[in-house]
Amino acid sequence: MKSRKAAAILVAPLVGALSLTACSGPGGENESTEAVSIDQDWSQADPITVDVFSGLANYMGIQSGWFGKIVEDKFNMELNIIAPNVAGGGDTLYNTRVSGGDLGDLVIVDKGQQMDELIQGGLLLDASRYYESMENVAPFDPAVEKLNEGSDGVYGFPTAVSTLLPTEPSEGLEPTFGAYLRWDLYGEIGYPDVSTLEDLLPVLQEMQRAQPEAENGQPTYAISLFGDWDGNMMVTAKQPATLYGYDELGFVLAAADGSDYQSIIDSDSEYVRALRFYFDANQMGLVDPESTTQNYDTMFSKYQNGQVLLAWWPWLGQSAYNTEERMAEGKGFELLPLDDQKVFSYGAEVYGGQQILGIGSGAEDPERLAAFIDWLYSPEGVMANSSQTMGSAGPEGLTWELGDDGEPALTDFGRQVFLEGGADVPAEWGGGAYEDGVSALNINTVLPKDVNPEIDSPYSYTYWPSYQESVANPLTEDWSSRVGGATTAMEYLETAGELIVAPGASYVAPPDGSEIEANRNQAKAAIIEHSWKMVFAKDEAEFESLLTSMQNTANGLGYEAVLEFDMANAQAQNESREAVAAEFG
Amino acid sequence: MSLTQGTPTTAEANAAAPAKLRPAPDPRRRRGSREVRSAQSSKTLFLMILPFLVLIFLFSYLPLAGWVTAFYDYRPALGMSGSEFVGFQWFEMLVSSPTQMQQIGQVLTNTLAMSFLGFATSLLPVFFAMLLNEIRAPWFRNSVQTLTTLPNFISWVLVYMIAFSLFSTSGLVNSVLHDSGLITTPIKFLDTDQHVWLAMLLWSLWKGLGWGAILYLAAIAAIDPALYESARIDGAGRFQIMRYITFPHLMPTYVVLLVLSIANMLNNGMEQYYVFQNAFNKEYIQVLDLYVYNIGITGNSLSMATAIGMLKSLISVLLLVAANAVAKRARGTSII
Repeated sequence: MKSRKAAAILVAPLVGALSLTACSGPGGENESTEAVSIDQDWSQADPITVDVFSGLANYMGIQSGWFGKIVEDKFNMELNIIAPNVAGGGDTLYNTRVSGGDLGDLVIVDKGQQMDELIQGGLLLDASRYYESMENVAPFDPAVEKLNEGSDGVYGFPTAVSTLLPTEPSEGLEPTFGAYLRWDLYGEIGYPDVSTLEDLLPVLQEMQRAQPEAENGQPTYAISLFGDWDGNMMVTAKQPATLYGYDELGFVLAAADGSDYQSIIDSDSEYVRALRFYFDANQMGLVDPESTTQNYDTMFSKYQNGQVLLAWWPWLGQSAYNTEERMAEGKGFELLPLDDQKVFSYGAEVYGGQQILGIGSGAEDPERLAAFIDWLYSPEGVMANSSQTMGSAGPEGLTWELGDDGEPALTDFGRQVFLEGGADVPAEWGGGAYEDGVSALNINTVLPKDVNPEIDSPYSYTYWPSYQESVANPLTEDWSSRVGGATTAMEYLETAGELIVAPGASYVAPPDGSEIEANRNQAKAAIIEHSWKMVFAKDEAEFESLLTSMQNTANGLGYEAVLEFDMANAQAQNESREAVAAEFG
Repeated sequence: MSLTQGTPTTAEANAAAPAKLRPAPDPRRRRGSREVRSAQSSKTLFLMILPFLVLIFLFSYLPLAGWVTAFYDYRPALGMSGSEFVGFQWFEMLVSSPTQMQQIGQVLTNTLAMSFLGFATSLLPVFFAMLLNEIRAPWFRNSVQTLTTLPNFISWVLVYMIAFSLFSTSGLVNSVLHDSGLITTPIKFLDTDQHVWLAMLLWSLWKGLGWGAILYLAAIAAIDPALYESARIDGAGRFQIMRYITFPHLMPTYVVLLVLSIANMLNNGMEQYYVFQNAFNKEYIQVLDLYVYNIGITGNSLSMATAIGMLKSLISVLLLVAANAVAKRARGTSII
């Protein structure tokens, strides 16, 4: 009895202490607002390693290779990349780090809600002290101003800024979206005319019959789906809507020109049309049965092996399958000129893209980070940093050089890297495979299509005449002759009037309220679950009953309230597009 | 009620009432000396238990502070103090619409179904241990035991990989059936909403059967060999010995384990269901723990997931109270 009492006495105050458990409160006061110059020789500074939290990075660990060496030579700094994409588990890594009060020394996050809450929580540093001396960012001052509107300092730096007009497409040679199919097989069955989305099915069926087995002996399928990118909806079922000028905003499919707004679960929406398209395709045996269990990587390797015949993105079909060797044989993915298409194109963002760069409030050496960010906007930095696939050209002297005529051209090494599948970097540039040394930040500070003032040509080598002359091959020549002589997909779409540009207004939707967010998460889970079942439904009746069930379940989980919120945002987005088009373009 | 067990107040009451009837054996002195001794031993005992109290506090009570999340719109970047207090909003949302309640109902059905299927098959390890015990050749018995125990040490992720390579649409089973001409289209074993509970039960049996039998094998070893000898002298056959000697002696162990598992009725864990879930079987595979994970981590609604987790704890307490009441009636003892 006594011991029980004693235990009670012991436990009571501890229970009381429960209510006192510490919560990490926001910290980080601005010390002073005096301007500090970042202009100094950082290569002589003490070596440091900085944690870089990058929402887009696909590599985790210390940045190695040639980009790592450039950063080390210039700033005596190593970049330790922290990548939630690699860690997996959605927002878990972000949540854990922010609740610990330190996201990273350099952070790359979304603007809007994430940036706002990081500022509010005191996790981002006000860089206004350094901003004045950041000369390379200066030309993009309007974008910086716009991004930090409403806050009392300079907390973020925009990405993908550009000096192009907002009504011009941000894409270069290929659009972001488009129906890309195996052009060689399409030719084999006689280039049949395809007037609308549904007419694609018999064409795909014939193509699949023409090549039932891929090079590796595995069966080919016209369509292969994957689920790991599903967000507000099944991601592969949204893509056909982009061929008709729609893009998603929450649960709304909004037309690029503001002419139409659709609720995705309406029976006559483009989304349901796409589900029906897949359902029919599956009934015809055109859908890869492994679609239900595979992820993007597995599917990507199928494209590499030629097991899939249709892709909704050039950066999937072409980048996986179109090697030099295959294109020389006339094989590869090319854009299908669908008669009634109006492909959605993102206009150049005058105020920058979705991601922002910021300095963490706990950064050891914020000055050096400010200098690093500034360098990322310099011609040299843009050339070196954003050289992802088909991006900018890489460091001068390694992959490219100025010719005698003053025009930039790829070096032999550059041709090996970009056209022949990679090469090893010479030791004085840091060694290792070129591909492994590419910047892991995975963001463009300046759009690759923008003009590099130092060489008076775009940052991306794919626009250089010297490059375009050298890459013509039987595949592109055949495609070109079939689409009236256009040399690139963008050129074709623009001349044929099959492209619709959504002006780049850098619109950011306001954050979801707590209830909207909870409703959205539940409704989208139900929508995704039903969508997959609909595609693989056994007959028309089951498809219809699943559609009704999807509508009822989503509505029962608060879909309508979320839709109302999204509709208002979609209209606000359109207004900002019109405003920016009127102001700049 | 005896003096040694009673509290001071009852002891005094006992002492006071019969005092007039019979000469009292001076209660105060006896109690005094006993109190000193029992106080000392209590102190020692208490010190022995202290580390465990601290651990229980740290790992079982301190995390309860996290429940406060359920009353806030918690945003990790802002911390608890920066997040908005929303009262019972999340709890209200759980009962806000018939669809929502239906979904939770389905989740509870799945949870209970998996638990009851678990109870229904909980005798299998007993029989397995009994049969294993009857194997004469030691090398055979040992190898069977090792082979059946091993799956317990394979993580669920690896189990899923095995399941995937065997049963996916291009897996071993489908390839064999297809090549032998038995089927033309692959059978969907993994991405179907048919027989989800059964499939999950079979996987957990495959993984846990051998491990579950170990305890019973130990219990069998503890049975007095004299019982077997006398049964044999009385002419009992092999199956009669199993039926009348081994089985009844395993029952106490079995009942203890069963009662413990009833207490865990709502906790069927989430690893197994997490790795096997997909859009097709989600409706039947989502047990409570997985539901909380899907809402909190996948859906990033930490506060709402906490609210559901809290409800789960409350239901568990209710179950405990109910079980306790039953036990009190049946056996006259209570755990509180």
